[in-house]
Amino acid sequence: MINLYYAYQPIIDFFLLSVGFGYSQQIALRAGVFSIATAGFAAIGAYAVAILVTKTGFPIVGAVVLGMVIAGGAGLVLSLPLARLRGAFQAIATLAFVQIVISLLLFAEDFTGGALGITGIPRVVNTGVLIFIVAFVMYVMWSIGRTGLGRIFDALRQEESVAASLGVNIGRYHAFAFILSGAIGGLFGGLQSLYVFQIEPHNFGFAFMVNVLTVVILGGRTTLLGPIMGAAIMAILPELARPLAEYRPAVNGVILILVITFLPNGVGDEIVFWFRRRRHAAAAANRVKVKEAKNAVTSS
Amino acid sequence: MLSQQILNGLVTGSVYALFSLGFTLIFGVQKLLNFAHGATFMAGAFIAYYCTISGMPFLLAIGLSMVATGVIGIVVDLVAFRPLRKRGNAEFPALVSSIGVDLVLISIAQQVSKTQVLNFPFGTFPVKFFNFLGLRISLLQIVILATVAVLVVLLIFYLKKTSFGRQVRAVATNERAAALLGVNVQSVFLQTFFIAGALAGLAGVLIGLLFNSMQFLMGEPYMLRAFVVVVIGGLGSVPGAIVASLMLGVMQSLTVAYLPSGLTDAIIFTLLFIVLLIRPNGLFGDANAVAGGTRQ
Amino acid sequence: MPSLHLEGVSKHFGGLKAVDGITMAVPPGEITGLIGPNGAGKSTVVNLISGVLSLTHGDIRLGGASISTDRADIVARQGVSRTFQNIRLLPEATVLENVMIGFHRREQSGLMANLFGLRAALREQREFRDRAHALLERFGLDEYAEFEAGNLAYGHQRRVEMARAIASEPAIVLLDEPVAGMNDVESDELATIFRELANSGMGLLLIEHNVGFVTRLCKQVYVLDSGRMIAAGDPHEVTRDPKVVAAYIGTSKH
Repeated sequence: MINLYYAYQPIIDFFLLSVGFGYSQQIALRAGVFSIATAGFAAIGAYAVAILVTKTGFPIVGAVVLGMVIAGGAGLVLSLPLARLRGAFQAIATLAFVQIVISLLLFAEDFTGGALGITGIPRVVNTGVLIFIVAFVMYVMWSIGRTGLGRIFDALRQEESVAASLGVNIGRYHAFAFILSGAIGGLFGGLQSLYVFQIEPHNFGFAFMVNVLTVVILGGRTTLLGPIMGAAIMAILPELARPLAEYRPAVNGVILILVITFLPNGVGDEIVFWFRRRRHAAAAANRVKVKEAKNAVTSS
Repeated sequence: MLSQQILNGLVTGSVYALFSLGFTLIFGVQKLLNFAHGATFMAGAFIAYYCTISGMPFLLAIGLSMVATGVIGIVVDLVAFRPLRKRGNAEFPALVSSIGVDLVLISIAQQVSKTQVLNFPFGTFPVKFFNFLGLRISLLQIVILATVAVLVVLLIFYLKKTSFGRQVRAVATNERAAALLGVNVQSVFLQTFFIAGALAGLAGVLIGLLFNSMQFLMGEPYMLRAFVVVVIGGLGSVPGAIVASLMLGVMQSLTVAYLPSGLTDAIIFTLLFIVLLIRPNGLFGDANAVAGGTRQ
Repeated sequence: MPSLHLEGVSKHFGGLKAVDGITMAVPPGEITGLIGPNGAGKSTVVNLISGVLSLTHGDIRLGGASISTDRADIVARQGVSRTFQNIRLLPEATVLENVMIGFHRREQSGLMANLFGLRAALREQREFRDRAHALLERFGLDEYAEFEAGNLAYGHQRRVEMARAIASEPAIVLLDEPVAGMNDVESDELATIFRELANSGMGLLLIEHNVGFVTRLCKQVYVLDSGRMIAAGDPHEVTRDPKVVAAYIGTSKH
């Protein structure tokens, strides 16, 4: 058992980090924001922590919290100009945001080490820490789902005009979604810094963006299970498809096309929906039975 | 020195135009972002390269590569876009599935090239320089400018003067109305994808020649620049894309020459951001298209 | 409860005067009718009141305060609620959730309470859930509570939309063709509900194509044709007005 854990530990840790970034991506999509800014938020969190810890001797926990706050703040700042944009334009604007972050990281060599990045970050994050923090984020996502906030996000995604007609301030809730996406992305960016020892700007480029998007598309955009399923598939797939290892991007690409075409809600969401429908069908059948019984009593 | 930089910028910008035209054309008719456009561009360079080193005459290699990338464009439409369009509200799903195609193409190119940087064999294109008015211009640069100019004129002629062009513009304005008027929308889509793919492929070959270096990820920065171009020029606007491409090419060449290295990207993407905020329809787009009398 | 006043309200789309200087009132505790042939501009009026479209001229006041430049969500928060002519539900959400979002205006719990699932937020949600069930029962929909709204029959979808619109107990409700496509039994059931709502003090604006339904329910009826108000007053008198008859017959010829 212990040996098994050590053998698979990197995969488990990779899975946990992916789940975290997945939630950052998911909360934006759930609120109907076509944001692909998670890579930028993760970069901000990762560099904030790396710089604070290696260059200023800031306490590690404080650095992670500060990184999260800065990335959340970046989400807020980003949401303000984006309030007027929708769809493709939102996607492009968030993509531009990621490019700006990366090019500034490359440019500000004195702080960021330029293309070489920052090395010598203390490796203090382990599987336990990751599990604890993923669990905390899941609790928050679960809370959002069972309070009014989640319902408003769902409404904004499905039909913005309805939300507005019921008094929902669209800009404000899109800003919440961006702040949450930023904070969660920044938090896990910081954890990644403290896990991998060394970070560089290109860790957060196009490939990162595609991976995070894949996690949520595969898993699902609305349920708690979504990013977990997506990240699990992404973590296990390379193990299962070893002969195709060289063509891994192609395999990911084909999966993306197949899932978005034939299982547009994602594997995790579909599973949850299936159970939900079954439960409702059972409840409906039960109601019919109760009604028939009542009718039988009254007619006799 | 300044005019030399501007000249070089115009040459790069003209290739951007070739690349971005297809991208903006697809957005114009489908309102969808094709993220596989960068990989199509890379495929153009790769196919021309492998045809050339297998002994094919260079012009034939270019022609073949354009046909092949045109076909790739059609495949993108059939595989990634058409099934989603049927379902409606394809904006986000299409972005995802075109990323999927992008990954497949990149992965194949990576394996074919064994992750190596490829160069066209020496002499594929004659290396010749001319001097006039103190400017140094290569034969290749002249050929690129001329090719792009001719193709742009042809494309505009095609869109404005032929019946196909009228159909494309009808679909771009109102897909449903166009279909009711008897326009075969699917065939318009396929044709625009073929043209877009072929232009991207040619852009790939020209960039491969210009910098004499090609690798499987070469499409990515051009893809990102296409976003800048189409936003500044107005998503879907052909003249906007041309002007914005040339502007971007010149701006980039000037920032590289006169500003600290590494700031170029930050500047052009900040510019994109600002344009999106001030004029989401681009500097040359229709400013009224967004508002329509709604309360903000 | 405040009343709603439109004064000289116009909406021009380019050269087209979709709504041309209309004046009308929706008092509390009454059902007011707005009728007119197709294309008369009725739905434009709803969109103008609810803050979706901006006015070209005129003023809209709610209990004395102008709402004519307020954004849609701000209009809604002041107590003006609406349904849509082309039904708009959240298709993936359940019927119950569709109604529960209607309570948004009444939500008290803050962001933190939502993020950390604090008791106050959960208690509020339970209360909304109970009230949503009660509303569904009133509209005869409770057995569909857990259905995905998008799968419901057309008439049921309309009623879900109405339940959602009145959930937060707004002062004014704009009902855009609420009985379109319903049979007599169904529209009678709705008529009863509308009367109850008016009796509880709500002001209802009934936008209808169906003249008979409006005549039965409304105290005051306004008639719109090509964006202009051609008649207003007691429904029985108005429907006998030759101008109104001409407007209806005139359009049915086309």
